[in-house]
Amino acid sequence: MIESLVILYGALPYLFRGVLVTVSLVVGAMGLGLLSGIALAVGQVYGTPWTRRLIGFYVWFFRGVPLIVLLFLFYFGLFTMLGINLSAFTASIIVLGLISAAYQSQIFRGAILSLPTGQLKAARALGMSDSRAIISIILPQALRLSVPGWSNEYSIVLKDSAVTYAVGVTEVMARAHFVASRTYEHLPLYFAAGVIFLMLTFLGTKGLRLLEDRVRIPGYVR
Amino acid sequence: MSKPPVLRAENITKRYGKKVVLNNASLSICERELKILIGPSGSGKSTFLQCINFLVTPDRGRVWLDGREILRTHKRDLNAYRQKVGMIFQDFNLFDHLTALANVEIGLTRVRKMGKEEACEKAMQELDKVGLRDHIAKYPAQLSGGQKQRVSIARALAMDPEVMLLDEPTSALDPELITEVLAVIKDLRANGMTMIMSTHQLNFASEVADEIIFLEDGIIVEVGPPDKILYEPECERTIQFCSKMRELYGNSR
Amino acid sequence: MGEMDFIQNEVLPSLFEGLGTSILLIIPSAVFGLVIGVAIGVFRVFGNPLTEKLASTYVAIFRGFPLVVQLFIWYFGLPHLGIYFSPYTASIIGFSLCSGAYHSEYVRGALLSIKRGQLLAAQALGFTRTGTIVSVILPQALRRALPGCGNELIYLIKYSSLAYMITCIELTGKGKIIASETFKFTEIFMIIGIFYLVMTTIAGRLLQYVEFRLEIPGFEHYGA
Ligand SMILES: Nc1ncnc2c1ncn2[C@@H]1O[C@H](COP(=O)(O)OP(=O)(O)O)[C@@H](O)[C@H]1O
Ligand SMILES: [Mg+2]
Repeated sequence: MIESLVILYGALPYLFRGVLVTVSLVVGAMGLGLLSGIALAVGQVYGTPWTRRLIGFYVWFFRGVPLIVLLFLFYFGLFTMLGINLSAFTASIIVLGLISAAYQSQIFRGAILSLPTGQLKAARALGMSDSRAIISIILPQALRLSVPGWSNEYSIVLKDSAVTYAVGVTEVMARAHFVASRTYEHLPLYFAAGVIFLMLTFLGTKGLRLLEDRVRIPGYVR
Repeated sequence: MSKPPVLRAENITKRYGKKVVLNNASLSICERELKILIGPSGSGKSTFLQCINFLVTPDRGRVWLDGREILRTHKRDLNAYRQKVGMIFQDFNLFDHLTALANVEIGLTRVRKMGKEEACEKAMQELDKVGLRDHIAKYPAQLSGGQKQRVSIARALAMDPEVMLLDEPTSALDPELITEVLAVIKDLRANGMTMIMSTHQLNFASEVADEIIFLEDGIIVEVGPPDKILYEPECERTIQFCSKMRELYGNSR
Repeated sequence: MGEMDFIQNEVLPSLFEGLGTSILLIIPSAVFGLVIGVAIGVFRVFGNPLTEKLASTYVAIFRGFPLVVQLFIWYFGLPHLGIYFSPYTASIIGFSLCSGAYHSEYVRGALLSIKRGQLLAAQALGFTRTGTIVSVILPQALRRALPGCGNELIYLIKYSSLAYMITCIELTGKGKIIASETFKFTEIFMIIGIFYLVMTTIAGRLLQYVEFRLEIPGFEHYGA
């Protein structure tokens, strides 16, 4: 027991360096997913029928296929086939980001659709172009409404990032497994990894709750 | 009527599916005039007004401003035209994420590309005109209905429109708040703003309108000066509608 | 041409075998997960403070730890306590306990949303407390929990692919083995992706149908 704790303690700095990798994965993927998710959502709400169908297909595909299959497909398959040479880390950010884009687009889409249509009408009545109205009027409101959904998506992406261990990204889980298989202290190390993820979830959702309060529109209740 | 009209809409027709919501409606208005659209709910007043600035795309019909026809397929012209035609909505449609001041500023900075300071000054002036100097920092959700509608009037006025379209501006208001908004509209009228307004306030209409247009089932049934339409209408349906409205809202004379 | 033959004769049969294993992982896990979810959900709403505390700790841990970590604990971790599971058993335990935690959240939410009045009305009719929960509250609550739980089932289909990481060779694992031998990663994982898409899409449709069938007349728009 004591011995296990000593080993665990010794491994902590190594695990914490993995936290940096995990956090970069999540920040990268969420950022990529945010930008593409907004574009997809706008396209799906305001686009031509063909744009909508195409985006619908994208969302269906990336929400229906497991992460690990997509990792293998992109990292070992498509990227190699296309001659794109990416590190496992970068490829993982892209794949996690593409999936998150699909999920985030549905959060934003729901938020956009929940806004009263009068908002767009009023913007047009002032002479705003549609793209200006979307940027200045629709998105600022829709994104505010999306924060709770986003917080949920964060905790999913965070946990999913542990799967990138399968393609060799040295994030928290990979490091825990590495130390475990050398020291034969599997249980404490996996547990420590789990607790680290739990803490990251807690910190992230806490931060997003603060953000939600900060961007709340005074007096506005839904 | 020798002056040319500022705004002219001709033969506007709008269908939703099979239902003809607006049938060949025409209207023209000269500078400084106030024309009032009356008619039962669902008669097509909102549709008519929104077709005039193409917020609803008419199936047929043409619109001219200052003698120039508006081609709604030409996006840039359309946006320029909408700047010159202010619109007030029944349910205000203030931008919920912006303060009263920012609601008025945004058209100036984002559409007219005015500098931030100049826009702020102008927005303050407009809000002052509608009596909201003390509320500029509030968000829509913190304002009363009457205040919201006055912000929306300031927002439209800030664009220096040639014509204003007002779609039942007082219908969503509690009775005690109606007067404050009507007072602002009367003020506009006194300052010579050209306006087309739909309303159920027949007393107000009889006081200030140059002409009243009675719309029913998407058809313009009767047009004329207030005294004629409200007190000696020719059509049976106009008579019925006016007497029903009087029952509901009382008579002024 | 040879390529198509190869895929048809060598790859597909192997993948179908993997698919069979996947389904054998998914179905028991789904059933156990739901049972656990309902039980824990009921404990959290109707239990005493102690069971409630235990149940919410369980939920916090199993929703907070990544599923991979949980699987590793069951498969690589427990042997150190002298407990051995086959990859298949470890996977089913991991999936069931994890999705049970998620289900319980939906069940709990649904139970809480059923009016207290229903409990009182049933007791007035002479129902016991357990009887009320089983025959009055649960049937209503489960309908309300269905959309959330359904989503969870679809996640389970996708997450069943993680069994591969603890050497339970199901669809993904089979694919990985063949792909590593043949270097046809793109083709093989495209096919596997389609297999999963078919499963998730069918499950989605099925759930929609069940939701539609279970709708209580007059409550169609509940929660919409
Ligand atoms: N987007 C729409 N789709 C279908 N029908 C509509 C739509 N908008 C308005 N209508 C119908 O058109 C008719 C006229 O509506 P409206 O112009 O709002 O009337 P008013 O403003 O006079 O009350 C009504 O019968 C209404 O139901
Ligand atoms: Mg109307």
